[in-house]
Amino acid sequence: MHIPDGFLTPQVFIPAFVITIVFWAICLRKVKLTDKQVPIMGLLTALFFAAMMMNYPIVGGTTAHLLGGAAIGLILGPFAGGISVTIILVLQAFLFGDGGLTALGANVLNMGIIGILVPCGLFLMLNKAFRADGKKLYPIIFVCAFVGDVLAAIAAGTELGLSQPVFQYGLSVAVPAMALNHSIIGVAEGIVTMILIGTLLRLRPDVLEQSPILKKLPIFQNKKENPE
Amino acid sequence: MATNKKTHKTLIIGLAVAMIFVLVGVFALSYSMETLDRQAEQLGVEEHPVYEPPFPDYAIPGIDSVWGALAIGVAGTLLLFGVGLAAAKVLRMRKGQKA
Repeated sequence: MHIPDGFLTPQVFIPAFVITIVFWAICLRKVKLTDKQVPIMGLLTALFFAAMMMNYPIVGGTTAHLLGGAAIGLILGPFAGGISVTIILVLQAFLFGDGGLTALGANVLNMGIIGILVPCGLFLMLNKAFRADGKKLYPIIFVCAFVGDVLAAIAAGTELGLSQPVFQYGLSVAVPAMALNHSIIGVAEGIVTMILIGTLLRLRPDVLEQSPILKKLPIFQNKKENPE
Repeated sequence: MATNKKTHKTLIIGLAVAMIFVLVGVFALSYSMETLDRQAEQLGVEEHPVYEPPFPDYAIPGIDSVWGALAIGVAGTLLLFGVGLAAAKVLRMRKGQKA
């Protein structure tokens, strides 16, 4: 989903940069990490850089890759998560030309802001509404990751569609194509996010307990209320 | 300390999984034709890079083999781990962050 240089018009990539710079400023101001989260941030940054190297065949000979925003955002929180995904996207653009420099703001907006804030916000809402414990936890994680991916793809489609002098398909073609194709990778994102959080929940609940998002899970809240 | 041991184990397992992702990405799932690339191809829209990266398309210039891509994948993963860890440490050390 990395948009290269030359696909977006300045009317699109400049506002995307402005939104992204504001988001970075908020992240740097608001981020709070604990000692246990520090190595996990390094690990997740590396893990999803590697995960993005795998291009899954989807439909019509096209491919897509995982975004990682849901897992990173839910485990580290939206602000540390935003910084982690930004590191991935900046190094991909500067070292490998994966995503253009003029499109960096748009790529961060799609994968690092929408791809993170949507799953985090949705998780908080669904956890409040349904109490994400037991069997309900995994469907909720899946939905958050899936919706995050699809909305990130819709945002990318919108940016391309609005760059009509270059991308003549316009919104009516670019948005549905991106949404449909990325809904398939959204399923994979949901499964990977469920597996990752499920594994950490069994092996390192102490790390998840420190997440600004996952600490709201009933298992951690109950523990806080009944420490013994 | 028990937590340190657990953290080291988590990092080793996590980085091993990342290396498996790199192997799969290089040897099995390397072909990339994203939806936006396909649309651009259909419209005749071309990329106009404003910068020449040192390792374009995850390849070492002059080395046209999967081994170059594998080296880039492994080195890139370790670099991202280092940068992510360093950034987290700096953020953790900031004023008002330490408990």
